[in-house]
Amino acid sequence: MSSVAWRLLGVLLLCVVLALSSSAFLTVGNLLNVLRQASLIFLIAAGLTFVILSAGLDLSIGANLGLSACLAAAAIKATGSISIGIAAGVACGTTIGILNGLLITTLRLPPFIAIYGMLWMVYGINYWAMAGNTIYGFPESFRVIGSGYFMGIPIPVLLMVLCLIVGSVFTRYTTWGHEIYAIGANPEVARLSGIPVRRRLIMVYTLSGAMSGLAGIVYLARLNSAEAGIGEPLLLPAIAAVLIGGTSLFGGVGSLSGALIGAVILTLVLNGMNLLTISGNWQPLITGVILLLAAGIDTVARKWNESRA
Amino acid sequence: MTGGKVDPGESEILNGMERNLLMNISIRMTSILMVLALFLVSCTKPHVENSGKTGGESIAVFTKNQTNPYFQTVRLGAENAARQMNAAVVQYIPTVSDSITEQLSEIEDAIIKRPGAVVFIPVNSKAMIPGIEKLNAAGIPVVNVTDRVLGGQIVSFMGCDETKLAVNTGRFLLQKMNGRGNVVILEGRGGSENSVNRVAGYRKALEEFPNVKLLASQPADFQRVQALQVTENLLQSYPQIDGILAANDSMALGAIEALDAARRKSLVVGINGTLEAIDAIKAGKLLATGDCDGFRHGCLGTMAAVRHLRNLPVPKEFIFSLTVIDSTNYAGMDVPYEQRMCPKWESIVKDK
Repeated sequence: MSSVAWRLLGVLLLCVVLALSSSAFLTVGNLLNVLRQASLIFLIAAGLTFVILSAGLDLSIGANLGLSACLAAAAIKATGSISIGIAAGVACGTTIGILNGLLITTLRLPPFIAIYGMLWMVYGINYWAMAGNTIYGFPESFRVIGSGYFMGIPIPVLLMVLCLIVGSVFTRYTTWGHEIYAIGANPEVARLSGIPVRRRLIMVYTLSGAMSGLAGIVYLARLNSAEAGIGEPLLLPAIAAVLIGGTSLFGGVGSLSGALIGAVILTLVLNGMNLLTISGNWQPLITGVILLLAAGIDTVARKWNESRA
Repeated sequence: MTGGKVDPGESEILNGMERNLLMNISIRMTSILMVLALFLVSCTKPHVENSGKTGGESIAVFTKNQTNPYFQTVRLGAENAARQMNAAVVQYIPTVSDSITEQLSEIEDAIIKRPGAVVFIPVNSKAMIPGIEKLNAAGIPVVNVTDRVLGGQIVSFMGCDETKLAVNTGRFLLQKMNGRGNVVILEGRGGSENSVNRVAGYRKALEEFPNVKLLASQPADFQRVQALQVTENLLQSYPQIDGILAANDSMALGAIEALDAARRKSLVVGINGTLEAIDAIKAGKLLATGDCDGFRHGCLGTMAAVRHLRNLPVPKEFIFSLTVIDSTNYAGMDVPYEQRMCPKWESIVKDK
């Protein structure tokens, strides 16, 4: 069984436990609810997956999402045009992504440091611009992106499925996609075999930035408000979603479907604790234990396979 | 605003004041775009600002973070008061929200710069005691506002009774429910004293209404995103939720978004009296918000610090009055803080 399959088994086990302990869990409404919540994490985790596959790390996603959402909010309020707002948000995210890529490849800075610097600059700009204010109250036609339905399915979930399909085809069946894996596995070998490493790295950070910008738009539409700190709590869950899904922090191994599984596990934990109304004092501990179990199932399974061989 | 594409309900809310604020943000956002386009981003230390006046006393103002609108109102109040009294304000804000280590090192920075006095909101009531002791040792007087520091020497504490604030706000909601029905509580961040006190206040109010059932009390970390998701989850397991008691306004507004998307109705209350909450009250979405007015904390804290330096009397402790803001009494509370003026010291602090 592949690593993704073992993790899927983990998700199913978690679902069985929740279905047995809460009658509200296994309903169409709640499952769509879980998927919609997971889609918000997935959108940023998807962009991050490309970066981690190339053995990099994009720490600026939360800050980027915040600035993109605030910029989009200000643009919608100033012009009254939803499309200008969306364009501004995605353009902002993409620009930050390109800057990240250039910092890493041109200045040859270690990705962690370059992007850590970028993270503070983006926060700084956003804190200064927003000065503690909140922009809120958007037209219904914009808010459908976050809270609307199409044929009974929440729109963020449709966006998630679209990104999953396009992204998976890209990583699995295109040369560029294969090159990301190759760079992550061994950048030196990749370079020697003629892969334009620099350009591909700029591409993955740009993709990550663009996805943060897009996620910022969906968050804005979902929350109907933007404040400077909106992305702050999302960075670690996004990284966790990618890694729980089996993508290696050292690059070259992993997939977008893994990120989806990671996002669903994170969401299920909160959903389950809320449905069972577990006291806030116990929630962090239980979250930790379940995450370790979910991530550990793969290792245990592999050990077991080896011992039988 | 071109108006055409904005639905009329939204643009009605946009009064002149808010438009000003938005204009401000838009101008700043446009300049960001230009900076981004030029790829010339320079890193500035955004949190040290001088209000410009010199010659007067220098007051160092310590707040918890740059993200919560409440602390922004405290800072604006402090700057307004300093301007009125011809003093100068230097703001100290941790870049990592609520960071204990960062606030401690900011205290050390401030001691080197030797302000006349300090207006202090601790990120943590116990962990900041050593910081206060350092200020004491340096001979810099401290006025403690909003959250009480549980040690060290202070000139004055000026704050509000968070538990009572939640009792009053909770009682208001429960009365509107005619003392009957199901409620849930949205707690703040685990371990935060504000959250503990406010939740205790809500529970105390619930004790007065035996026919109201508390279905669940769940943490949402004072954050809008979390509150949205927690409320969505609770709506799945409880078909009938009549009231939601949120420990701050951000969570109350997140809960309202969840209710709207699920086409469900509940009465919702929050705490802090933010402008956004007041607009939600106007729009009929939020029932009420408990308010202790951070702007006044900034005003009076700074005034107390300056008064102390000018040898004028300052009370050892001052507890602010509380208001539960609802659709009947929001008038005057919906003015942007940039355009508000600090009240006169004598009109608030009566000599005993």
